[in-house]
Amino acid sequence: MIRYLIRRLLWAVVLFVAITIITYIIFFMIPTDPARKACGQLVTPACVKSARHYLGLDRPVYIQYYKFLERLVVHQSLGRSFANRQNINSIIGRAAPITASLVFGGAVTWLLLAIPIGILSALRPRTLLDRSAMVFVLVGISAHPVWIGLIFSWFFGYKLGITPIAGYCEAFSPPQGAACGGVVQWFYHMILPWITFAILFAALYVRMIRANVMETLNEDYVRTARAKGAPESRVMFKHVLRNAMLPVVTMLGMDIALGLGGAVFTESVYSLHGLGQTLVQSLSGDDLPTTQGIVVFGTLAIIVFNLIVDLLYAFIDPRIRLT
Amino acid sequence: MSQTETAPMTTDGRRGDELLVVEDLQKHFPVTRGVIFQKQIAAVKAVDGVSFTVRQGETLGVVGESGCGKSTMARCVMRLLEPTGGRIVFEGRDITKLSRTDMRPLRREMMMVFQDPYASLNPRKRVGFIVAEALEVHKLGTEAETKRRVQELLEVVGLSPEHYNRFPHEFSGGQRQRIGVARALAVNPKLIVCDEPVSALDVSVQAQILNLLKDLQRDFGLTYVFIAHDLNVVRHISDRVMVMYLGHAVEIATRQQLYSDPKHPYTGALLSAVPIPDPRAGRERQPIVLEGDVPSPINPPNACWFHPRCPRFREGHCDVETPPLRPFGDGHFAACHYPLERWPMTADEMRTVREPAAAS
Amino acid sequence: MALLDVKDLKTYFRTDDGIVKAVDGVSFSVEKGQTLGIVGESGSGKSVTCLTIMGLNPKKNTISSGEARFKDEDLLHMSPRRLRQIRGNDIAMIFQDPMTSLNPVHKIGDQLAEAVLLHQDVTKKQAKTQALELLKAVGIPRAERRLGDYPHQFSGGMRQRVMIAMALVNDPDVLIADEPTTALDVTTQAQILTLMNNLQKDFDSAIIIITHDLGVVAETADDVVVMYAAEVVEQGSVDSIFRRPHMPYTWGLLGSLPRLDTDLERLVQIKGQPPSLLNPPQGCRFHPRCPYVMDICKKEDPPLKPVTDDPAHLAACHLDEETKDREAQKLIEGTLAAAS
Repeated sequence: MIRYLIRRLLWAVVLFVAITIITYIIFFMIPTDPARKACGQLVTPACVKSARHYLGLDRPVYIQYYKFLERLVVHQSLGRSFANRQNINSIIGRAAPITASLVFGGAVTWLLLAIPIGILSALRPRTLLDRSAMVFVLVGISAHPVWIGLIFSWFFGYKLGITPIAGYCEAFSPPQGAACGGVVQWFYHMILPWITFAILFAALYVRMIRANVMETLNEDYVRTARAKGAPESRVMFKHVLRNAMLPVVTMLGMDIALGLGGAVFTESVYSLHGLGQTLVQSLSGDDLPTTQGIVVFGTLAIIVFNLIVDLLYAFIDPRIRLT
Repeated sequence: MSQTETAPMTTDGRRGDELLVVEDLQKHFPVTRGVIFQKQIAAVKAVDGVSFTVRQGETLGVVGESGCGKSTMARCVMRLLEPTGGRIVFEGRDITKLSRTDMRPLRREMMMVFQDPYASLNPRKRVGFIVAEALEVHKLGTEAETKRRVQELLEVVGLSPEHYNRFPHEFSGGQRQRIGVARALAVNPKLIVCDEPVSALDVSVQAQILNLLKDLQRDFGLTYVFIAHDLNVVRHISDRVMVMYLGHAVEIATRQQLYSDPKHPYTGALLSAVPIPDPRAGRERQPIVLEGDVPSPINPPNACWFHPRCPRFREGHCDVETPPLRPFGDGHFAACHYPLERWPMTADEMRTVREPAAAS
Repeated sequence: MALLDVKDLKTYFRTDDGIVKAVDGVSFSVEKGQTLGIVGESGSGKSVTCLTIMGLNPKKNTISSGEARFKDEDLLHMSPRRLRQIRGNDIAMIFQDPMTSLNPVHKIGDQLAEAVLLHQDVTKKQAKTQALELLKAVGIPRAERRLGDYPHQFSGGMRQRVMIAMALVNDPDVLIADEPTTALDVTTQAQILTLMNNLQKDFDSAIIIITHDLGVVAETADDVVVMYAAEVVEQGSVDSIFRRPHMPYTWGLLGSLPRLDTDLERLVQIKGQPPSLLNPPQGCRFHPRCPYVMDICKKEDPPLKPVTDDPAHLAACHLDEETKDREAQKLIEGTLAAAS
């Protein structure tokens, strides 16, 4: 167990270094100059030169990378934005809870949708219910979240007026002067984003859970359970579901990481200033430190989350031994 | 190793007609562990010092229970796996260290028939292609010749030449195994290694395939290494039999010797465990039931590999000194300190050992 | 009245290609303390017969008829609730592949205790105690410590012992064993068969053993049912079937077996393949493969009728007694022509 954790952590470090180096290299291959942007309208060679020095761009790439690492490891700081000199730690601090609300709430939503639909259509294959579920899967996989988001926002928010059209509310300690706050308002504002975000994954998961349950129902040990005289409900919950959910747990770890990248679409439709939106802004502004900061944070989040999922998997599947 | 000196090939008078000589063959699979760099902490000794010979035109049967290393041994002989140690001599030529390219012309001399007729044929290829593939690889003959040869082969194995354009899924298990045999025969090999060729088949179909293999041996002078776990089948088809346990050969003998006068207690236990399809004889049969399971090849027992389960186990001898393969005359060898004095034996008789002079 | 009496059992499966008649009119009965062997090749319907008795076929697209009377209750026409009470309690079953028949995510102890708790009004602790006793009875070493282990920590032979313990934990009247030793090595098979034999003496249950291994049947069964293409072609006491088989398919089965006690240059082989059950042959289902086929065999399905000298021995064949005597004698002498 300890050995396993150490190995995972070492891999995390390797992964982290690789990803940050790649981001640095990409940035230096793009033919734009953040120093020029920093000088704004008054582009004089002197201004560019001083801005370059100020931003540290006049030093070789590996020195810049080293500085970045030093700041991060020694001061736990991701530096300051090229664009507005804000502390990146606090930019992420503001954006991360929004994205986390969206992604984790979305994951819960897609599981709540997919598990019952998947199981029911596995139990009644080729019925009306099963076929409707398959239509939902097709729509969910084909439709783009931006389109779904706009339709939902227009229909539920504007036409029916039962949900907010867009925006975000802090659940705890809303900032001074915020329009709304509190858990209820937070929930109310997140309903549409969650559903929008969840539809694609729910569709994929319905298909996966249906296939897993159908496969597990044919397993010999399910027949053994029935031969013992176990009623169908017990067979289902005790013998089928746990085995059928094993692959789902593995997929969940990867899909939440994927979802982190996909969150940007939902965030932009519902004007949620989460990590996705911030990342897009920093990219278009050639703001390397902010981009790098979000990449670092995202990488860490994914590593930690995958570790949790792997531990969980070992817990629910006794055949996996962490050595 | 002392085993190689007493191995059948050297004591056997008729040297020169051996098609295949295997000496001290070993195959160890590493077990690794490590944080980033994997270091080897143990080895699964799947095959651990097996020596035998196969003579031209004979069938060597190899029996043993699952995990005894018989399939790994076959794959090493075919050079489908790289042996860890030992020597494989085919037609007087050491092929142990041959490179892939040097091995290629030899591949047509030794072919393999596999256990699972469902998994070993490519489902997307037509039967004609499957059988012809080896011919094409070795560039033997024109297209028309190849086709004629394949249709001939299909007839030889009891299928119809019209089956040429069909796909494997259109055939039953027995017919597929015939296709597998035709594929092996295509390039006129000298040696065919059959790895459990009939264990996935029903008895009536099994009889068809066994008869076919015997007919082909008679007609084409083939040499077989026949691997199976079914002692009845091995007895039916083999001239000589090797019994394997935990990666070792524990007994080698002619069929007659092995089945009527086994020397190793494991062979005895195997023979006594086979049910007899005769109610009267069957009910009286008292199997020598072995305790427990086959030990793990990662951590095999000391000295004699069979001692933890052996009814004739003698403390201080069997768990200290590894028994060599001893000769019992006429090419009969067994690795046991306390070989069986006679056969058949009951479980009680087997437990009482007459102390041999050498042991005291 | 026999303990379990099966009459004219039929199981048809609806498939996309048509109706598969997997079992087509099978009758037999088992008495207390007796062992019935059902022999046949794969696809002969022997497993489906037992799954039908247990009500374990998928409900959808399965049509079953006939009756299976257990202590005067028809298992085929009872409420699912009543059937569940009987299943695992009065009639228990063990399966072919011990590697896949146990749930990989539950502890052995829990899976055994589940079988107890489903049928007995006891506490979980008492159920565990019963489970432990049974594990000891089937010869699992250090049983106390193994209750908390998962199936993957057991070898194949040990898992089959666990399956047997699970089947016997409620002291069933009938034990159905579907190829219980096919997936096991020969020395492990000997252990399991010896164990089943001893347990039958202790529990006095009736055993139905399904197998393709005539050796296993000869040694364990009192009565034998030979199935071919969903039908019973021959049945009777084990001695009379092995001494004097009355049906070319049974001859083929016996003759195709290489065996330790006789030396045969060639095995008797039954030509061709078993027929498709979607569209079985007219008349006698064995006629396309039968070396003795006559015109009548292609038109009329021979009834299962008693043989002349033994009313308990039934066979379905049109051949005259004289030919049967002659050929059966050849089979025993090992000179039966290898029919090809």
